[in-house]
Amino acid sequence: MNHSTSACKTSTSTLPEQPGVLVVRKHHFLVRWSHWLNVAILLGLILSGISIYWASPVYQHKPDPNTGNFDVAADIGIWICAHVPGQHHYSSPSDWIYNHVSLGPGMLALALRLHWLCAYLFMLNGMVYVAGLVRGGGWRSLLPRWTDLLDALKMFRYYVGFPFAKLARRQWLHPRFNTKYNALQRAAYFSVPVAGFLSVATGWAIHKPMQLHWLAALFGGYNAARVWHFWLMWVYILFVVPHVILVFADGWDTSRSMIVGWSARVGRSEVVGNEQ
Amino acid sequence: MNNEGKGDIPSTGVEPEVKSVSVKKRQSFFGERPLPAIEKAPRVLRYRSRRDFLVFGASTLAALAGAGYLLPQDTLTRLGVLQNMNSPAKEWFLNKALRIDDDVAEALYSVNRRVPTYTKSQITPLKNNYNGATPDPGYIPAWKLTLDGLASGLNISLDIRNLLTRFSVHEQITRLVCVEGWSAIAWWAGLRFDDLLRAYPPMSQAKWARVESSVNLDASGNSDPYFMSLDLATASHPQTLLATHFNGQPLTVDHGAPLRLLVPVKLGLKNVKAVTKLTYVAEEPRDYWAERGYSRYDGI
Repeated sequence: MNHSTSACKTSTSTLPEQPGVLVVRKHHFLVRWSHWLNVAILLGLILSGISIYWASPVYQHKPDPNTGNFDVAADIGIWICAHVPGQHHYSSPSDWIYNHVSLGPGMLALALRLHWLCAYLFMLNGMVYVAGLVRGGGWRSLLPRWTDLLDALKMFRYYVGFPFAKLARRQWLHPRFNTKYNALQRAAYFSVPVAGFLSVATGWAIHKPMQLHWLAALFGGYNAARVWHFWLMWVYILFVVPHVILVFADGWDTSRSMIVGWSARVGRSEVVGNEQ
Repeated sequence: MNNEGKGDIPSTGVEPEVKSVSVKKRQSFFGERPLPAIEKAPRVLRYRSRRDFLVFGASTLAALAGAGYLLPQDTLTRLGVLQNMNSPAKEWFLNKALRIDDDVAEALYSVNRRVPTYTKSQITPLKNNYNGATPDPGYIPAWKLTLDGLASGLNISLDIRNLLTRFSVHEQITRLVCVEGWSAIAWWAGLRFDDLLRAYPPMSQAKWARVESSVNLDASGNSDPYFMSLDLATASHPQTLLATHFNGQPLTVDHGAPLRLLVPVKLGLKNVKAVTKLTYVAEEPRDYWAERGYSRYDGI
């Protein structure tokens, strides 16, 4: 999402005439593989996780006198069936959520098996990702900085104002950064591995609350660790939506770089190179 | 990058003060570095990109096929796959993942590690979670605990009075954790399983106990004996009780009167209510919930 590149492309002409194309190494091989594997693994974890949630919802209320329902997630499904056009004849409104955003209700044993399978793959994949960050040196681009707070606000203002500026046909300049990621991106890309680590830690805390009782205690006990584990899922969901939109908005080079590893946007590295 | 600020971008890792001191120290270890630029012939770049995209596409298809194959049949049916996709290979693979997790749980277990205990003010309600119907209390007066697979070769039957007079009673307030995710902190008392193992030693090659309740019922009230495997390493844990009391009172029929297994290092489903028989065996015995797709070691 480095929009400053087009301005820099002219500077390549100062280099001696070369037969090749200049590209930058953007994502390490292991980072790319773990990124795409994570799409499938996280999807499996979330779908099986919500099926597990069905068996004993974290958020409950006193049973409804008419339906006997006590699950807040089921309430949402009932509401959707009552208010969303086309859903009025849905056969089991209380299962709507579980039928649409999980593997399904009433399959705890199957969901647990898949959740463990995906969880072990998630941990292995996390190690592959970290290995890729270390070997490719990409971890340095993810570290938060003191200037991030202000820069993130600038980026936020840019994103919020962008559609209005487009509508008003006004020029709306992208804040300038000469780093791999802007401050908002960096915050997001740094949060996801942290959330991954916390998901694994809270997962172990609720999976082995006796042998690892100290870990459960770290998150405020067994029940609190379940709540943590549930809300950490939302970090991924809230990350993925803007992530996918912005990656596509940023252009083909950005999407392609996560498959091929290189980027044709060489501007930044040259400027920094010149400064040295 | 005409107006590229220099002082306000520490991310380059180039600190002006350091510049003059040493060339080597110009870049801090944590400072972001420029992406390494490489020069590639366009032909090579095209060829490699094509290769990477083909591998990416093939992997995506493989992942989709693999995920579709592993999904539960009910989910597939809902997605419109009416064909039965269950197969012995699929079962084998998913059970393998379950066994790996069981092996991890077994490696984590230590007979010396006590589970946390709580105070009476932390006690939470414990519901009657009999999976089927709750048995009629008529079985209680004639109840006996039968021991089989003993070193003596005998078949022993003990009634509740034998058990309570022969063994010392231990109290504990521990958490019972259900496979479904809920848990309850409850106050239990009973004899230690380990004391029973010492008084009536199992045969030397025994590694497992088959814990059985013959009074268990299914949802429609028909007899549905409950049987469960318990490794003797867990049975000998000091907090594994054959509980006779709940909240200071003798167990009610809801909680498995007159004697239930209380094994806090295992999931609730291993805490068999109204135990009627213990059989010590060398090979891992059958397990009610493992036969219904759950794991078999269930250590937590």
